[in-house]
Amino acid sequence: MRRWRTGDGIFLLATPLLLSTAALVVAPAVVSLGLAFTEYDALSAPRFTGLTNFRMLWRDPLFWTALRNSGYIAVLSVPLRLALALALALLLTPPRPFARAARISAYLPSVVPDIAYALLWLWLLNPIYGPLGLALQAAGLERHNLLLSPWGARRSIVLLGLFQIGEVYVVLLAARRELPAELYELCVMEGVSAFWTFRNVTLPLLIPTIVFLGVRDVAWSFQSTFVPSLVITEGGPEFATLFLPLYIYQNGFEYLRFGYASAMTVAMFILTALLVGAQVALLERWGTRQSERLEPHPLHSPGGDTIPHGSPR
Amino acid sequence: MKPFGLELSGVSKSYGDAPIIDNISFQVPEGELLVLVGPSGSGKSTLLRLIAGLVRHDGGEIRIGGRDVGELPPAERDTAMVFQSYALFPHMTIAENLSFGMRARGVERGHSAARVSEVAGALALGPMLHRYPRELSGGERQRVALARAMLREPELFLMDEPLSNLDAQLRVHARAEIVRLHSRLQTTTVYVTHDQSEALSMGDRIGVLNRGRLEQLGTPTEVYHHPQTLFVARFIGTPAMNTLPVKAMPPDHVGWNGHLVPIPGRFHASLDRRDDLVLGVRPEHVCLQGSRWARGVTPSEAMTATVDIVEVAGDQTFLELDVNGTLLVTRVEPDFPVKRGDRVTFWFFTDSLHLFDPGNEMALAAGNGL
Repeated sequence: MRRWRTGDGIFLLATPLLLSTAALVVAPAVVSLGLAFTEYDALSAPRFTGLTNFRMLWRDPLFWTALRNSGYIAVLSVPLRLALALALALLLTPPRPFARAARISAYLPSVVPDIAYALLWLWLLNPIYGPLGLALQAAGLERHNLLLSPWGARRSIVLLGLFQIGEVYVVLLAARRELPAELYELCVMEGVSAFWTFRNVTLPLLIPTIVFLGVRDVAWSFQSTFVPSLVITEGGPEFATLFLPLYIYQNGFEYLRFGYASAMTVAMFILTALLVGAQVALLERWGTRQSERLEPHPLHSPGGDTIPHGSPR
Repeated sequence: MKPFGLELSGVSKSYGDAPIIDNISFQVPEGELLVLVGPSGSGKSTLLRLIAGLVRHDGGEIRIGGRDVGELPPAERDTAMVFQSYALFPHMTIAENLSFGMRARGVERGHSAARVSEVAGALALGPMLHRYPRELSGGERQRVALARAMLREPELFLMDEPLSNLDAQLRVHARAEIVRLHSRLQTTTVYVTHDQSEALSMGDRIGVLNRGRLEQLGTPTEVYHHPQTLFVARFIGTPAMNTLPVKAMPPDHVGWNGHLVPIPGRFHASLDRRDDLVLGVRPEHVCLQGSRWARGVTPSEAMTATVDIVEVAGDQTFLELDVNGTLLVTRVEPDFPVKRGDRVTFWFFTDSLHLFDPGNEMALAAGNGL
């Protein structure tokens, strides 16, 4: 039998991904970069207009509204999502009854298709027949339609994002389980409180992972708003949930201003790249200092894997 | 009466149906260094964690300094543990690592700093206090872990394979360091290792664990020269003891491989009640004709073998002999002229032979056949 070199297998395995990425991501990205400098309505041929689209963008108040809204979501949603995912990961690390089931169910909302997930929330938030409204009514409170106020609509978008933290939480769960059990046994033996252990052991050791996930989540929060804002709020009320991806979609596929939409896409891409770049630079400066101190911990003896009772997490 | 430093009676632990620790009882006099040794999976680390309270025991009693600690949380048992991985916090300096327990408990800063520098001085860690663990060598990290345990001034030290991550040379050096430290502090210590040579060289006494049971507890000399079970006989000593299936030939011989092997007088009485036995012969008790290390006299019926493997170990040479298809390990002085394929004449040094019952794998007690 022919011996396979590692390279053969890797390319073979990656082919579907490489092909689909090229067709569905790289090619459209290149096309839209080109279209950003044209006027194009998908009916007649694109016409080169230079930087006109970008000049219009600069003067478009709705673009700035959308940008502000997207920034608002990132600022509010990312820390909340990280905190929630960290709490879940730490809660579900020790072996407890139903821990497996709990770990899986915490991940589940992340695998529901976006459209179905958005429709589900439309029902949940419906003031007439949605469970939230009914619960408020049963409690004798006013049935409040969150989606009718700018304040409520934006927070609803944040809220539904808080349940889609499966990937963040799984990475944190794995990172936490990588931390040497002996460090925690030591804390137990020293009689250190659970909070002190979290503050001085768990958190510092997880920080490189958390920062990395934060970077990823900022990019995610820009994009993830598209489906809910399209399906649930349609950008309203009062443009409160008009986010960049939705505004791009509207310009392109509703107003047939593909050139303008492409210019906005390029702007959003540059903005995301700048944000991520800044975070990565921060992470490198400060994260490497952290990770240099870390080193692979030696394998534990068989007894070393046992979880101490009453150990803080 | 002075209480024992540590006393276990009938301690058990099982996970599900699998017993990990099976009814273990022993006492450690105050100030003793007891080494628990066993292969991986023998339960030695679990036993240490039961004593520490990191794992809750199912049954039995654990007393430290006379105090029943079975229901106490780990922090109140007055023990300090040295971990295999040293368990140093990578994001803290050595000084912070040493003082972390005191900081967490809110000990006044000046006092804890004084204690840290005192103990660091005793272990020559002074210059390293402001470095991070990754900047230290394995041996230095191991000393930090020791220092941190010392800072607690515990009633009982628990050490979980603290030397197994060091390279061989450093390990021998560190053994001596721990023994010296122990004789200076005189604190009762339970030391766990899988390395039988470490156990022999360090322990005041050795407890040999196998599958959650304590096979034998005794001084290194007792355990080496009077193994009570076949497991102990095979586990303690390198190279391992030769264990040979033999037939009883009353009144004073066993039959092995077509040879009559004379056995010590203390076993004679047990021979006529048995048939199959296991003969235990340490490599140093297989005597080669012509070797300066040979003991006893050449018996009338000496045995012959072919040298199969010659393994030079510097200060001695190990030989694997092929005796009609059975392998037998022996050792000779380094300048003994021998090469693979040589025919040699050998005998067993009768006084040091061991006999085991293949049924219960226990050593035959001298004088009776039980």
